[in-house]
Amino acid sequence: MKRIKSIIGPLTIILAILLSVLAIFFVLKNDNTLLIHPKGPIAREEFHLMITNILHMLIIIGPTYILLFMVVWKYRAKNLKAETEYDPEKSIGIFGQLIFWTVPSIIVASMAIITWNATHELDPYRPLKSDITPIRIQVVALNWKWLFIYPQQGIATVNFVQFPQSTPVHFSLAADGAPMNSFWIPQLAGQINSMAGMVTPLYVMADGPGVYAGRVAEINGPGYSDMTFVAKSTSKSDFDSWVTSVKQSPHQLTDRTYNELFTPSENNPVTLYSYVEKDLFNKIVLKYMPYMHSNSNNNSKNKSNNNKMDHHHMDHPMDHTMDHPMNHHMDSQ
Amino acid sequence: MKNFIFGKLTLDAIPHLWYTIAATVSIIIMMVVSVLFLTKTKRWGWLWHEWLTSTDPKKIGTMYLIFAALMFFRGLIDVGMVWLQQSIAVNSKGYLSADHFQQIFTAHGDIMVFFVTMGIFFGLMNWIIPLQIGARDLAYPFVNSLGLWLTVAGGILINLFFIIGGDFANTGWLATAPLSELEFNPSAGVDYLIWSLQLSGLGSLLAGINFIVTIIKERAPGMTLMKMPLFVWTSFFGMLLIITAFPVLTATTLLLWLDRFFGMHFFTNNFGGNPMMYFNLIWMWGHPEVYILVLPAFGMYSEIVATFSQKKISGYTSMVLAGFTITVLSYLVWLHHFFTMGAGPEVNSFFGIVTMLIAIPSGVQVFNWIFTMYKGKIIFASPMYWFIGFVAIFMLGGITGVFMASPPADFQVHNSLFLVAHFHTMIVGVALFGSFAGITYWFPKIMGFKLNEKLGIRAFWFWLIGFFVSFVPLYLLGFMGAPRRIDRYDASTGWQPLYITAMVGFVIICGGVIIQVYQFIVSIRDRKQNLDTTGDPWNGRTLEWSTPSPPPHYNFAIIPTVTSRDEFWQMKKRGEHPQLQKEYKEYKEYKDIVLPKNTAMGIYISGFAFLFSFAVVWHILWPAVIGLIGTIVCMIILSFDEHREYVLTAAEIAKIEASRVQG
Repeated sequence: MKRIKSIIGPLTIILAILLSVLAIFFVLKNDNTLLIHPKGPIAREEFHLMITNILHMLIIIGPTYILLFMVVWKYRAKNLKAETEYDPEKSIGIFGQLIFWTVPSIIVASMAIITWNATHELDPYRPLKSDITPIRIQVVALNWKWLFIYPQQGIATVNFVQFPQSTPVHFSLAADGAPMNSFWIPQLAGQINSMAGMVTPLYVMADGPGVYAGRVAEINGPGYSDMTFVAKSTSKSDFDSWVTSVKQSPHQLTDRTYNELFTPSENNPVTLYSYVEKDLFNKIVLKYMPYMHSNSNNNSKNKSNNNKMDHHHMDHPMDHTMDHPMNHHMDSQ
Repeated sequence: MKNFIFGKLTLDAIPHLWYTIAATVSIIIMMVVSVLFLTKTKRWGWLWHEWLTSTDPKKIGTMYLIFAALMFFRGLIDVGMVWLQQSIAVNSKGYLSADHFQQIFTAHGDIMVFFVTMGIFFGLMNWIIPLQIGARDLAYPFVNSLGLWLTVAGGILINLFFIIGGDFANTGWLATAPLSELEFNPSAGVDYLIWSLQLSGLGSLLAGINFIVTIIKERAPGMTLMKMPLFVWTSFFGMLLIITAFPVLTATTLLLWLDRFFGMHFFTNNFGGNPMMYFNLIWMWGHPEVYILVLPAFGMYSEIVATFSQKKISGYTSMVLAGFTITVLSYLVWLHHFFTMGAGPEVNSFFGIVTMLIAIPSGVQVFNWIFTMYKGKIIFASPMYWFIGFVAIFMLGGITGVFMASPPADFQVHNSLFLVAHFHTMIVGVALFGSFAGITYWFPKIMGFKLNEKLGIRAFWFWLIGFFVSFVPLYLLGFMGAPRRIDRYDASTGWQPLYITAMVGFVIICGGVIIQVYQFIVSIRDRKQNLDTTGDPWNGRTLEWSTPSPPPHYNFAIIPTVTSRDEFWQMKKRGEHPQLQKEYKEYKEYKDIVLPKNTAMGIYISGFAFLFSFAVVWHILWPAVIGLIGTIVCMIILSFDEHREYVLTAAEIAKIEASRVQG
């Protein structure tokens, strides 16, 4: 009877752990678990990197867990068998300490190499390898909605973005009148901040047709929770016909309508604009950099770096103001 | 004229929303009850002379602990409101407005970090560090009192918005610019946050300086640095971080205030301001702050595991080195809080790799803790439960931390609930569990009797299970793409069941808290059965256990001479338990002791500083001037006071000691 009683405790703990693991497994399997069901190369690579990191850590932490519970169990004061081993002056000496420092160092060194490579490969500034020319989409975070401008197509949308599948999408992120924002489509790529007066690029690509949730991930005021959008990837022909249909839209994005849009509002409906004022994105960014108008030197310097994005930002990795919109977009308009 | 007298204060500032009215009413009721109680029992004089004006680190420590406990309940109510909102606000607005919801989690973060966790650690350090290094007091007793009262002033200011103003910051606990700028946040809430952090930050800085000087200068003869207990070491490292990092916080929030008050443009979107600079500056303080919160806890665990394994700590030198490594590395990782801001891959990977390096000393510590138990005789007292729970949670936090240290992986989980789960794993699992372990461990020293063990262990299980039920769903929600800080969401996301699970976890944790409160009540009621008459209830190893429980206000009648690391353990081995020694009864051996007098200056200066801060929050000039001048005048008066110490004669000490030995 005593024996049964003594195993009931551990048994319930093991049962509870098993049940939780099962529950966690089902949650992860669920399609809603966006990070585990990536729909594009960037998000997929990022997911694989997470797995690699976890496995690296488990190499060392897994055995440590086992060791912890073994030691705690064996050397409990009630265990009379272990009492002969009791040695109050025992301390792990210099040799043991060297092992303690070296083993995690090796794991961290391995992860450091992986991190260095992955950070360069998955750098959001880095264009994706593809034979298809990227489609450019300029993104403006407003209070509290997302404006997408298609400079090549001359159209714009609010809280909805569509692009062709298997085609690199080159987002250029900025903000206007809004605090710091973060642009995130979990199934396609990790987030990058979109800020006023700066342009941060983000390259993504979708494997096939699909609809993805996107949203802001940095707190930015009362409209924060509803500042979501839908991203949709379709075949090239579907995309083209969508562009044609948007061109029929009665809405146009001029200076006046942009000012209306600029007024803070929550829960904006999807809006499609058949026309967008030329240079609107550049104007939005330059609003915050008055000195850039007169500084033609800077512009020409950026232009010369036009084709070598990597080179350009390696010179000024932290300097977003150098990442001038002219550099990326003037040529395409 | 009206502007001159009231500044920006208008009738709108009177509580008129349900939550501000509720909070105001409960604050007033609490105040009235305590006033009535103190008057009825005639305890005003006692409170003032024995406690509020005391410069005894033990009493200041107790006041820190009580203050932290009060703030803990405030922070806990905030969590409940947050979880309730997130459990029900599906396809609807829930019961809170977005603005109010954001204010609640902002206040939760600031209160739990600045007032609860730091308050508990300062409380325990005030109690234990002088005892562990064989000192009678801290180096600067008055500064210690001032530090406490500045922290309390900050704590009052952060709660004052309920009564006056009704708005707190809705920016997140760091008041990140540009959201905290006037353009987006014209209300006084952000100013309340800024000035509350200014006051408590100054208090922490003063305490940091005080502890560093104390540890360097006040150690007992023979206690070389490498003979210090590990709690002293890690607290020392934590204090080093405080004195280097907190000035950054003060400067950064002051610049933000200049933006808001004088319309400057340090961190604004426009006119050449740079919000990214705010992120850099605030995290240059913020990351060391994380280690300020966990380093003292590491030291407590080292003390506890050695005591209850009845063994000396494994790899002492290595442990000190690990603590030092963490201290240095913690300055070099701040950028990992915003990999997503678009720095280049070189910068990002540098900070990512340095972050991973912290895993090495952390691993060394875990190994040494485990090998301290190896070949020991582990007694499962309740502090040991907290310790083992901590190691298990700490390793989970290690996995998720390194996971996020890799910038591309961080792009996916940054700003998500995964991140929230990670830092709660560290702060709850390491700092808070450490606080509970430390409080239970040192409680007999502080109060003279043990806490009820059975209830303590029960509370631990509630906390542990509640922790997992609460935070594992958050990790999963992170994988589901749930960002932090949202007050409502769509049902199609499938998040609701997990939010509700997290809420259940919170209820379980509350069960743990209720048991802890009950544990205190029961322990005080049954204190006769749990009295600690020896001063050494756990068979301890370090000097604090060589004093009676609670220690006399001079700590040591005779300052011990230290010859080894676990000095008290060695004393007992040599059969030299100091309280059994003859000289404690014999009057000749004692020498006069110089002790600091009480002073109310700490309260006055903090009061004026509080007045100044409050006035500045509401843009009222005249009290600000009074506050500023009052602060300076108090300091001048204090500097001319040359009779700040009194002498306890050898005869008096002999009397006290004799009465104790007989009693």
